[in-house]
Amino acid sequence: MFPQGVTPRPDAANNPQMESALQENVVPRPPLAELDCWMARYQQADPDAPAALVLALSPALLRFFRSQVASREQADDLLQETWMRIHRVRHTYRPGEPVLPWIYAIARRVRVDGYRRTRRVALREIAMEVLPELPAQVQARNPGPTFDTLVAGLPEAQREVVTMLKVGGLSLEEVARATSSTVGAVKQKAHRAYERLRKLLQIQADDGAKGAAR
Amino acid sequence: MNCDDVTRALGEGSPSRLEVQDHVRSCNRCQELVNALNAPVAVDSPSPATLRQITESIIADLRPVRPVAPARYLLAAIVGIFAFIVSIAVYQLGPRAIAVMTPLQTVTILGALAISTGLLAYSLVHQMVPGSRHRIPPRLLPVGITFALIVAIVVLFQFQSERNFWGNAWGCIRAGAPIGVLSALAFWLVLRRGAILSPGMTGAATGLLAGLVGTSVLEIHCPNLDAAHILVSHLGVAMLCALAGLVIGMATEAKRSTVDSLFSANRKET
Repeated sequence: MFPQGVTPRPDAANNPQMESALQENVVPRPPLAELDCWMARYQQADPDAPAALVLALSPALLRFFRSQVASREQADDLLQETWMRIHRVRHTYRPGEPVLPWIYAIARRVRVDGYRRTRRVALREIAMEVLPELPAQVQARNPGPTFDTLVAGLPEAQREVVTMLKVGGLSLEEVARATSSTVGAVKQKAHRAYERLRKLLQIQADDGAKGAAR
Repeated sequence: MNCDDVTRALGEGSPSRLEVQDHVRSCNRCQELVNALNAPVAVDSPSPATLRQITESIIADLRPVRPVAPARYLLAAIVGIFAFIVSIAVYQLGPRAIAVMTPLQTVTILGALAISTGLLAYSLVHQMVPGSRHRIPPRLLPVGITFALIVAIVVLFQFQSERNFWGNAWGCIRAGAPIGVLSALAFWLVLRRGAILSPGMTGAATGLLAGLVGTSVLEIHCPNLDAAHILVSHLGVAMLCALAGLVIGMATEAKRSTVDSLFSANRKET
């Protein structure tokens, strides 16, 4: 039902399907009407509904958390916490409204709470141990530039927007709803993120050229 | 079409436009950006055990729930509470300020309070439901409303020297603050039907709305038209209530975070 492994990287320059190239990272998801239907059944206590929703939405949610937090364990914790919170507030979903912004708004809040908790713990523990650097760790695992390593250079708010757009597959309107923001503000953040990514890529390319010259 | 236009098109979610495609094909820098955005995403699927654990814990506590009421009903409830408390309080205290204010002052200040109330109520109703559409960012709204009301008061009323400024101010604050507290309790009864994701932000907005009930009552009742008095003791009630709401909201947030971390630790152990 969902892809395993790594999404292939197409060559944009020679790809005749350029128009779809920017959508390649998006996690496949069940049709929106289906999610809406499962949510309504979940509210009516249909025991099949939670399993269907958890199965359909968890991979994208996990990826959303993985792009924001360092470890898989933390991301798993946040995923579980998100589903517990979704369960507690399931009555606030209004049938007919888009499901994804509702889910991502809750996930985003869980991430913020998780981040604060981790920071509190880290402040207490940082003096005790030397933390490994994340980029080195990621690069050691995968020598090619991954989406996560690229967006890691972005400020948190921009990273969140780009991740929701490119990994979660949300539209600008859906991201605005999920982040309690306006479409204009999301467009601005996305634009700034792409500008920054362009600069980061330029720096990366310059560094690569200098290294090759040496 | 240049590289900046491409970045703008990407930001606006319209990368499939023909001119964008043409530029990207001929520009190395833009190709790099497009490829970067299309870089591989490591697919970390949750383990079947995790998914099973989540599903089982949900099913163990599964019972039917009624979806939250439509936004217009919640909005009507909040505005109704506001109007009801203002009417009762003004009936008790008397509308003495209406007789001394000019029609322009009356219409403008009460109009500004009504618009502020409407905007805050609309924002709160949307904050109750995650993923709602916000036309004005809820984080900025309380600040914007406070600033707008300060400007309206400074423009409409004159600064006069008062003999017993702090005594008069304290009298109004003492009358307005309990009205704010009572309104906050009534608003909370509506808000608890929803899911408050950011208690700090919602607390500040609720506190400001509750405080505006007190401010409105004082604006209709108190005949003192000194701008400084109105700012400190009438609008001051709204600002004090907003501050109290923010503090209570942040305390709730901190408490929830602690409970969640205990819950998380417990889950890991099991």
